[in-house]
Amino acid sequence: MKMQQELITRNSQLLLLIVNIAVLSPLYGEMTPWSLAICGICFLWQLGIYLGKVAKPPKYLVTILALGSASTLILVSSQIGMLDTLINLLTLGYALKFIEMRQRRDVRVVVLVGYFLIAMTFVEKQSLWFALHLTFVTGINTAVLVSLYRANSSVKPASKLGFKIILQSIPVAILLFIVLPRLPPIWMVPKLNTATTGLSDQVAFGNIEELTRSAKLAFRATFTDQRPSNAELYWRAIVLENYDGATWTQDTSIQSLQDAAMYGNNYRKAPQGDSLSYSIIAEPSKQHWLYGLDVAYSDNSQIINMPDYRLYNFQSVDQKFQYAVRSYPAFKMDASLPKPVRQTNLALPESSNPRTWQLAQQFKTSYPKPAERIDAMMAMFNQQQYFYTLRPPAVGPQQIDDFLLENKAGFCVHYASALTFMARATGIPARMVTGYQGGEYNRSAGYVSVYQYMAHAWVEVWLQDKGWVRVDPTAMIAPERVEDGFDAFFNPQESYLLDSPFTPLRLRQFPLLDNLRMSLASIDYYWSKWVLGFDNDAQQQLLKDLLGNITPVKLALFILAVIGFTGLIIAYNIGLINFTRSKDPVTQRYSQICNMLQKRGLPRQTSEAPNQYMQRVAQTMPSLASPLSEFTQTYTALKYKPLSANARKHLSQRLKKQHRLLKLAIVKSKSVAKND
Amino acid sequence: MAITTNKQSRLNQWFRHWLARRLPASKSITLAHKSIFILPTGFGVIWLMLVVLLFIFGTNYQNNLIIGLAFLLLSVFNTCIIYSYRNLAGIHFTAKPSPQNYAGEKLLYAIEVSAKYPQFDLQVNYPENTTVTLAEVNATTMQTLVPLANEKRGYVHPGRLKVCSRYPLGLCRTWSHLDLDNQQIVFPKPIKTEASLRALDEQSQQSEQLQGKQIIGVDEYHGLKEYVVGESLRQVAWKQWAQGKGMLTKQFQQPQGAPLWLALTTDTSKDIETQLGELTWCVDQLSRKKQTFGLKLTAQTINPDSGENHRLRCLTALATYGQQSSGGAS
Repeated sequence: MKMQQELITRNSQLLLLIVNIAVLSPLYGEMTPWSLAICGICFLWQLGIYLGKVAKPPKYLVTILALGSASTLILVSSQIGMLDTLINLLTLGYALKFIEMRQRRDVRVVVLVGYFLIAMTFVEKQSLWFALHLTFVTGINTAVLVSLYRANSSVKPASKLGFKIILQSIPVAILLFIVLPRLPPIWMVPKLNTATTGLSDQVAFGNIEELTRSAKLAFRATFTDQRPSNAELYWRAIVLENYDGATWTQDTSIQSLQDAAMYGNNYRKAPQGDSLSYSIIAEPSKQHWLYGLDVAYSDNSQIINMPDYRLYNFQSVDQKFQYAVRSYPAFKMDASLPKPVRQTNLALPESSNPRTWQLAQQFKTSYPKPAERIDAMMAMFNQQQYFYTLRPPAVGPQQIDDFLLENKAGFCVHYASALTFMARATGIPARMVTGYQGGEYNRSAGYVSVYQYMAHAWVEVWLQDKGWVRVDPTAMIAPERVEDGFDAFFNPQESYLLDSPFTPLRLRQFPLLDNLRMSLASIDYYWSKWVLGFDNDAQQQLLKDLLGNITPVKLALFILAVIGFTGLIIAYNIGLINFTRSKDPVTQRYSQICNMLQKRGLPRQTSEAPNQYMQRVAQTMPSLASPLSEFTQTYTALKYKPLSANARKHLSQRLKKQHRLLKLAIVKSKSVAKND
Repeated sequence: MAITTNKQSRLNQWFRHWLARRLPASKSITLAHKSIFILPTGFGVIWLMLVVLLFIFGTNYQNNLIIGLAFLLLSVFNTCIIYSYRNLAGIHFTAKPSPQNYAGEKLLYAIEVSAKYPQFDLQVNYPENTTVTLAEVNATTMQTLVPLANEKRGYVHPGRLKVCSRYPLGLCRTWSHLDLDNQQIVFPKPIKTEASLRALDEQSQQSEQLQGKQIIGVDEYHGLKEYVVGESLRQVAWKQWAQGKGMLTKQFQQPQGAPLWLALTTDTSKDIETQLGELTWCVDQLSRKKQTFGLKLTAQTINPDSGENHRLRCLTALATYGQQSSGGAS
């Protein structure tokens, strides 16, 4: 008898089939082809068992399969990474458990692992739509548990209850989400093994052009006060100081600082002066770079403020990351330049680009003052026939010579390289900075979106008394690119739309659809800001808005109130509390009439039948005779006659009407009595 | 060891007293907050461990959605407490007269169950006995028979009925211990004994007080009479009917004579329980043969009579022999 109860019903089996697909399908991106194949076979076998076509596999076969796939996975684990191996192991164990399931206990194990796999899916996918999808999967997973206890009913009520429980649990879950504090990571965790996107730590001719083909979002920024104009939006990400004649790379001193970066490190003090506050939601790039305007500083303990005035995340950005930044536009970067830094930023490879070198020397003799010299170099780009193009012509080994003096056509990296080279050749410390320029403003949600195709490279030169100063040769050749953004200068069809046939950015040309795109983007923005980026600061702010000054007592009362209130609603919903009147409406109507008559001095005796009472009342108050007799007739019929549902409904309506008329008559009878 | 068992029994006793005060015995009980207990199951504890695991997982990855999932599962646990309570609250239990039983048989206690709202997967059992699962209980009253293994005769109180449910997710166990005040009479285990009957016969012949001959044997066939509608079809003389003599009823006659007395022997070699068992068998045999008999026990004498009521009276006397009759119907 005990054994029989523990068997899994057919309803549970059907739900298990559904849940298998529902839990595993969102993880397909993380699974190796082998794991996918084994999961597929397991599912087909499970389907076969359900349809009664095949028997359960013997236990040893399942064990051999499990051991075999686990050992192969461990062999390839160095290639696919720790977390991917773990996910694959779990999915395989999960899929195999389905075909060797015998008891209810096995179902419970499968459900718990199912929840864990859903959590694993969130590591990679975090959009609102995915969160909704996975909440649905959570519901199905819960329904499996319910079906264990609903042996006799079909799949539908069990699933309905599963979803109902999840929905009813959401309010308290939201409360806990808002109230419970967030902790810093407890230990370092393995990361998913996926390709990086966005800027790279080395730049050669042609690197940034690749990014202009990408319609992906890089990050979003929300300004607390006034939004700077497009021409001021120079988002610094990487500073490149070393040049080998072809490629610009980061200086080794900075690289070693980056490599040693730990949680809570900080390499510079917060600047003083007027600041501009904003927050940024960085999209996952699998890299450490963060973005900030000019001299940017962040108090976030995950962020390291680098000595070259950049922001650096101690761990790679694997999921949307929200951080608050302050920028100090008036602050001087490096008022005095240490000697080693100066040397690094003056270094050029031996005998590289001799013609450019000569040109630089001419500038040096004509303009002895560094500031004027830089202005003159910039003016050259403007006055001579230079072209700004996404498809620059090929260059030889002396890259800058070929570009600057022969082709005279190039992209931002070409111009930035040439200017840095010339500045260094004339003894002005200079470096290349890469990042993003500009941003698309979303009017409804009030934020700036920066896409990968807005990637840009420019120059910083060090001038006495001014520190590092930004100069952008692109602004000389194509001022529209800087002032109005990338789209003002380039045709999207030839750049970022070329390789992205399905990007919503294509809707820009249709005003109505573009509004829709912006609204959807706003939803995603709020989701990123309030859910994915909800950190301790946001928590404090929200609680302050909700409760005023936060005291532990207030917080505890708030939590108890919400849990209590939700509990009451659930209890009411499932029928624990009922506010229904103890009497049915028919009896209630009759007793109301009796009460009214009692006030006129005609109380109904306890043993008196409705008909007798009616006759007695009619004798004393003849005006009530006819409405009361009609009412009593309907009442007794409803109360004591067996009636069809239809007739009952009909009579109830009649009773309601007669009740109203009778009440009116009783009220009138009083006035009549008075008149008499 | 001895001390711990002693302590345990004292704790048990205290618990039983506490239960008796909180949930007094009654023929009819509706479960409400006072009578329902809830605690997490082992699975519920594992569930909470999963919540903690997910929270750590989400914290390490600084992933709010994983943390959110952990909170959702925690909240589901909270919701389930309400659902679990609701699955027992309002169930109405009524003790019903139970079928007759002999010692050594599995006793079945009849209990009527109904609930205002449908309630699922209830497990009902007496301590250390097989569990009965009620898949669904709803407004239509249903009867269930809860088994109890028993070897004793007399009034048997089954103890407190345990009602238990893990619905809807198996996270919490809700239960209650009900005393439905449903002790039932258990007759001694019948022991077949032709010899005993014969000896009894001889004894009655020898005995001076119990004079009067009594033939023990089959009922005698008396004759046929016209069938009257309503008479048992068993008595119809089908042979005659087949011969075309019309529908006739066989008539039997009980030989009239002095009544037979059943009594305990003075023979001390037989232990009292065996004797009671044998007497039980005799009572059943004689009753089946519709004979008139009386029963004489040490402190109780039941005058000769026949019929079902008489049989029950005799069997009850045998069942409660040497015991204090503890209330209930006799």
